[in-house]
Amino acid sequence: MDLSDEILIQRAAQEGDQRAYSQLVRRYQSQLRYSLRQLCNGDQALADDMAQEAFIKAYKALPAFRGDAKFSTWLYRIAYNLVMSEKRKKAPDVDQEAVDRAQSDEGHEEVQQLSMARDLNAAMQELSEHQREAIHLCMHRGFSHEEAASIMKMPLGTVKSHVNRARAKLQSLLDPWREEVVSG
Amino acid sequence: MDNHLMNRNDQTDSLPDFDTWLRQELQHSEPYIDDDGFCEQVMASLPAPRNRRVTERRYNFLQYGAVLLSSGIVAWNFPLGAMIDQLMSQSISLYSLIAVGLLGSTIATGAGLVALKR
Repeated sequence: MDLSDEILIQRAAQEGDQRAYSQLVRRYQSQLRYSLRQLCNGDQALADDMAQEAFIKAYKALPAFRGDAKFSTWLYRIAYNLVMSEKRKKAPDVDQEAVDRAQSDEGHEEVQQLSMARDLNAAMQELSEHQREAIHLCMHRGFSHEEAASIMKMPLGTVKSHVNRARAKLQSLLDPWREEVVSG
Repeated sequence: MDNHLMNRNDQTDSLPDFDTWLRQELQHSEPYIDDDGFCEQVMASLPAPRNRRVTERRYNFLQYGAVLLSSGIVAWNFPLGAMIDQLMSQSISLYSLIAVGLLGSTIATGAGLVALKR
């Protein structure tokens, strides 16, 4: 039986139940690692290190988690801060081989799906870093604008503006392609 | 020509709205990342769990001990005999004195406990 985040957090924080926390880690590891890979420009090793550190930091801070926000929002905020401070520490050097390897590892079966994913990925690369992050959090992860603003530590208006501009840009890049797919 | 345009418009109308489509595509293009030992690594790096119940019990014990000790010191140094003599000379009944004393100490102890709990 899948227990809710609230119950697992309560058990981990109040009773020191690490098994409860391991369920939370399993529940969010894929999403968080994928998001951080986007944020780290495909550097899987760095993204995984940051994700691991975020889970450890979140565990230590669990007693202070008041439940005002969702656990996922809180976790993303911790992870986002870690990545940002890591990026500030050293200039980002993109491991192009790692990116290519990651992209080739993604085993999409259907050609159209592969092509769509590639085109979508290419369109996403046309966005600025903040626009990409805002779109990822709001449209991919389904966070509200307010939650994304709190994760990105940006004013709400700025996040909305990033989302709107990114959406307009993606639409102009992808709409002709969508129509092409429908018309065959 | 008109038919072609109409077909094209129909197709455009049948497209899901862009936001819905984009959300779907972003989610479809996301692979599931296998745990592959990640969770074990995280769990191995966590600090050892503290038994919070035991810690809390110890903390409460210390609180009550501190309150009792301080009450004892106050009682030891309190000039109760002198106060009783003084009050007796002012013609107040002994029972009222005891009642006032008990009430006062209960309020002081209760307030001390509440303050410590906070």
